[in-house]
Amino acid sequence: MKQNMAMFLERFRKKNYRPNLTYLIAGVLIAAVTFYLAFPIIALLIRVTPDMFFTTLKDPDVVRALWLSLFTTVITLTIVIVVGTPFAYFHSRYSYPGKVVVDTLIDLPLVLPPAVAGVALLVLYGRAGILGHYFNMFGISIAFTTLAVIMAQIFVASPFYLRQAKSLFEQLDPAYEQTARTLGASSFRILALVTIPMTAGGLISGAVMTFGRALGEFGATIMFAGNLPGVTQTMPLAVYVGMEGDINVGLTISILLVIISFAIMIVVRIIQKMEAARA
Amino acid sequence: MVLIGVICGLLVITALFAGCTQSAPATATPVPTTLPATAPETTTAALVAATPSAAQTTVAPTATPVPNFTPSQSNLVVFTAASLTGASNTIGSSFTKAYPGTTVSFDLDGTQALKTQVENGAYADVFISASNSYTNTLNKEGYFVPNTVQTLTTNYIIVILPPSNPGNIQTLADLAKPGVRIAMEASTVPAGTATLAVLNNLANDTYSQTWKNQTISNVVTYETSEPAVATKVGLGEVDAGFVYQSTATAAPSGTYQSITIPKKDNYLQTYTIGILNGSKNKAAAAWFEQFMISSAGQQILKQFGFTAP
Repeated sequence: MKQNMAMFLERFRKKNYRPNLTYLIAGVLIAAVTFYLAFPIIALLIRVTPDMFFTTLKDPDVVRALWLSLFTTVITLTIVIVVGTPFAYFHSRYSYPGKVVVDTLIDLPLVLPPAVAGVALLVLYGRAGILGHYFNMFGISIAFTTLAVIMAQIFVASPFYLRQAKSLFEQLDPAYEQTARTLGASSFRILALVTIPMTAGGLISGAVMTFGRALGEFGATIMFAGNLPGVTQTMPLAVYVGMEGDINVGLTISILLVIISFAIMIVVRIIQKMEAARA
Repeated sequence: MVLIGVICGLLVITALFAGCTQSAPATATPVPTTLPATAPETTTAALVAATPSAAQTTVAPTATPVPNFTPSQSNLVVFTAASLTGASNTIGSSFTKAYPGTTVSFDLDGTQALKTQVENGAYADVFISASNSYTNTLNKEGYFVPNTVQTLTTNYIIVILPPSNPGNIQTLADLAKPGVRIAMEASTVPAGTATLAVLNNLANDTYSQTWKNQTISNVVTYETSEPAVATKVGLGEVDAGFVYQSTATAAPSGTYQSITIPKKDNYLQTYTIGILNGSKNKAAAAWFEQFMISSAGQQILKQFGFTAP
């Protein structure tokens, strides 16, 4: 230790302090980012005792919110992947009139405040909405249903997957697909057996972000779908309403969300490691 | 090397936090030599009462824009129940006209949310609550300056309908019709507690428990603040909503249809105002509370549909 200090001071005296300064700044930045991200989570875990946690877990509202959140988010993710992957493929491979507009629209929900998205969906699909009142005539109501939750989630979360898929497909060397075509594969076979396996890692990462965003969606949900336990009260809504009544409920659901997020990230890392090992 | 960097980083971060939470340099709090003892009848009378005090000149009107919610000599942070949203602009401008050099920032939210924030360290000078029970809780926990909690105003519950009345609701009995969509506040919101009490009263007096259960099963959303219910009704997305009478009265005519609830079954919500212990502008907060309780403030509240206490 003394030797290190002596060396350190020597280098300073020699006015050769640039590398040390770099290390210093690097250390500061790493510390800052790590602590800023980790401390709130740690604070949450400290505030809720395991006893409190498991007691509140039995609360029927918490259980309903958990199931509803997972159910809607899984459906959202499925729809986004099933519809979004072919869409991103065609969007990246072909050029068509209005492509720039579609490109911009994909990015729009990212910058649109979620509450605005909620209002927009309500004004369109709501019972008194522009399209909604036609649906209403057939007895189909969209606002204030679980379907509304899924629609709101798709709206705000799909850009994460679509952008990722689009840029991955664009960056993929066309040589692979062209080779497959010369061997007689159809478009669908190429997509399924060449393009997707080669971009799987990135697609999974996009799917993870979509899942996370959909799980955490609040503003659009409360505006478009409302807040009804068991039907439209997802976990973020339950946290907000719970915080105001019984703070323990809010904290418990918050920790649940943190655990789920961590679990997903770990699963994804494992999958990515498996992919890398195979390739 | 990186270790030293990490330690320095920790010190820097701690220093930053300490600096940011430092209170504003304390200059002598200007105590007005003439606190308006009688309620000023007009704002000019208030100006006459306030300007002679030399203390006013030490309240430097800020030239550069002050960010909201920064505790400063001349900026008041008022945590206000969301149902005063419509009135807040008028209140703010009238108060700053009567007390030049002050600015008011309203944090409007459900009283339950504001209470939780205060309990977790949020800064505010004045707290306007829509619920006696939340006020009592905060008082017991010692957040209010003693003897500053006063009754501000009152409000009744009313049922509002979209102007086109899509659910064809003519009486309160129609609320229980199958297929009707009702919006209500969550039970933690003061307006929600009031609504549940009203439903109970109506079920006991006039209608039946079946009516009450049907009505509650017709609720499609429990909103987190009272104005949110009014919004859903205004958009025509629900057939009816339970809100405060002030919302129905203050809205431009034609925004809603309404069905009044008989006074004997209704729930009188009492609003209270109080100065918080953590306030750094207790003198200015006292002016604000005085203003709100005086006829100047009461006039504004009446204009926006609140009932005098």
